[in-house]
This record gives sequence, structure tokens and C-alpha cells, in this order.
Amino acid sequence: MTRAAHPEAMAPPKKGPTRTAPPQIPGSWWGAPRIRTYLLFGATGVVYFLAGTVVLHLVWALGKGPDAWAKVMDDLSHPLYLAFHALTLISVLFVGIRAFGTMMPKMQPRGGPLPVLAPGLVRGLIYSAWAALTLVFSLILAGKI
Amino acid sequence: MAESKKMMRVEITRFDPDRDEVPKTQEYEIPVQDDWKVLDAINYIKDEVDPSISHRWSCRMAVCGSCGMMLNGEPKLTCKTPLSDYDETIKIEPLANFPIVRDLVVDMDGFMDKFRKVKPWIVRAKARAEDMEDLNEKGTFSQSPDQLATFKQFSMCINCLLCYAACPVIANEPEFIGPAAIALGHRYNLDSRDEGQAERNAIFRGEGTVFSCSFANECSEVCPKNVDPAAAVNQAKLAAVVDWAKGLVLPREGA
Repeated sequence: MTRAAHPEAMAPPKKGPTRTAPPQIPGSWWGAPRIRTYLLFGATGVVYFLAGTVVLHLVWALGKGPDAWAKVMDDLSHPLYLAFHALTLISVLFVGIRAFGTMMPKMQPRGGPLPVLAPGLVRGLIYSAWAALTLVFSLILAGKI
Repeated sequence: MAESKKMMRVEITRFDPDRDEVPKTQEYEIPVQDDWKVLDAINYIKDEVDPSISHRWSCRMAVCGSCGMMLNGEPKLTCKTPLSDYDETIKIEPLANFPIVRDLVVDMDGFMDKFRKVKPWIVRAKARAEDMEDLNEKGTFSQSPDQLATFKQFSMCINCLLCYAACPVIANEPEFIGPAAIALGHRYNLDSRDEGQAERNAIFRGEGTVFSCSFANECSEVCPKNVDPAAAVNQAKLAAVVDWAKGLVLPREGA
């Protein structure tokens, strides 16, 4: 009842002359609700770049002397600067929550000597450490420590 | 009295390599039933309307991983996705990021090359004869439930390739090994019977490196088996770095 299978049955695919259409991605990929968080994540890089230029400007003013420093401090109280700092803070919080809330719990090493903790516990530990460090640095900057 | 059937418009990508220069879209207006999955609609068109449509499918129960397609731009298994999730129109396209062989069928060779690259099998460091001596003594390579639990999640991958269609890095860096292959390579790295971690970690650091992953997390969002490939990729990153750092201070085995 049986007969021999084709000699090349289950053979690995050979490179042949089959013409294929090039790979495509959906035209609306950027509009998918799921990917917007990722795009926002990437877009915060622009905010950090601008924040970096502000820091460089501060360093430059520090080197120029007290007058330049006072002028920069005065400039930084402009509403546009304050809005930019608020945007930077939001960006930092967004990236921090995404990185520490989503990424870190998943990245726990498996199979090693350390136990794999529940994601919620990891998030709680990281956020607690984050809050504690923010408090310490804030107190240092405020001259309280 | 005859029951009135709901009608639905189905837009399907068509591509005949012998005739078409580029893929095009063809529309079908078909009667559908409430309990249909998207695959049922495609099969209805194939059986009753247009037998020239080409598509892959097999098990109809989200196990074989054959019927992955883009449904309104989202990679999904058509056998698992209810047609009732869509209103009057559904657009069905072949998986994104893959060359199209014909209609809804994509060329998987690129994935298979990447898959082989990560050595998705148990690697033993000892010579085979010595290995067999161990086997004869112990009877088998035993594994505890805890050791199994370490990697079981990543072994549930059905190679449906939805993660590759969702990955924004693959769309731009074709050499990137990609989510499923890394998840399966990492699965073997975590297997207590495996001794090929150094080989695979070197592969993970090499061409198509795991560090190309920018943690979009899209692969885990679309995975129909909750494998969470993004977790595997990022655990693999950490393991590859630790392995590299160890290599700086510790002599390699056999060196």
C-alpha cells in the first residue's frame, strides 16, 4: 500500500529562481496605538539633547564669571525655560517608569543563584530606591545636607 | 423564513510572481457567521469565491503557527482571531518584514537561517563518547521541575513569526537575529542540560547582535503564546555582557 516518498521530501529549501515581492510594513504602522508609547520613548531623546545643550550653556556661563552666571540664572526663570524643564521632568519620569517598570522586572537573570522576584516586587524596590535617591539629591542641592 | 446573513468586505493582498510587479489588493464581499475566525473567512473565499488565493494554515488551534498574517495592520494568528472583532471591513495582508512569495504566503528562509544560527538544540561540551558514559551511569540527563520552569515559558514559541512582523528593528536592520530566534537560543542557554552558553553568547554579541534590540516590546505585545520574547532578548543581553566580562578575568574552559 505504501510507496517511496519523493527523494527530496523534507529536504532543506534550496535557493531557487522564485521571484518574491520585497518585504513590506503596514502604511499605518506609526499610527498603531500600541507603538505610540515606543515612539514617544524615542522622541524623548530630542528633549534630552536639548537639556544637554542647556547644561553645556550653564557650564560655559560658570567659566565666564559671576555676571554671565547671574544672567543665565535670570534667563532660566523665563516661562519658556520653565515649560521646557517641566517637559524634561515629564520625559525623565516617562522613560524611568517605562525602563524600570517594564524592562527591569523582565531582565532578572534566570537560572543563577539569585531568586526570580515577582515583577511587582521588583518595581516596588526600584521605585523606592529611585524616590530615596531623588530625596537625597534634592536635599543636597537645597543645601540641607 | 431564510435567516439573513451578515455581509463583510474582505480586502486581501494578491501577488502572483509570474504576472505582478508589485502586490495589489483585491476586495471580496462575503456572507459571514458570528462564530467565524478570520481564517474561516479566508477559507470561505478560497473554497467558494476565488480558488486562486494562496495562504498557509494547518491546525486551526493556535499551535502550528502557520496562519500568521497582518489583520488591519496588526500581526495576528488568523485561526485565533474572531472575525467579530472587526466591523464591516477587514484588510488581510502577508506578514510584514518578510518577502512575499505569493498572496498571503511569505518566504521564511531568512528566519530559518537566523534560527539555525543560534543553535536551537542541546549542546554538550564533552566529547560524545564521554557523554554517553555519563548517560550510561545516570541513565538520563535528569531535570527538576524548578530547572524546567526556568526556561519553559520561552520553549512555548510556535515560530509563528508575528514577533518579526511587529519588530521595528527588523524593519530597519535585517541582520538582527530577531525575537523568536533569540528567545529560543536563550531557552537553551537556560536549560540545565545544555553546555553551549559560551557559543551562543558569542553569537548574541556578533553580527545581528541582541544589542540591536531597542526594547520596543512589540514582540511581546503580539505574541499569541505569551512567550514574552522581549524578556528573553533582554535577559540574553545581560547574560551576554556577564559572559563577556567573565571572559576578561577568567580563563576560558579548555584554554
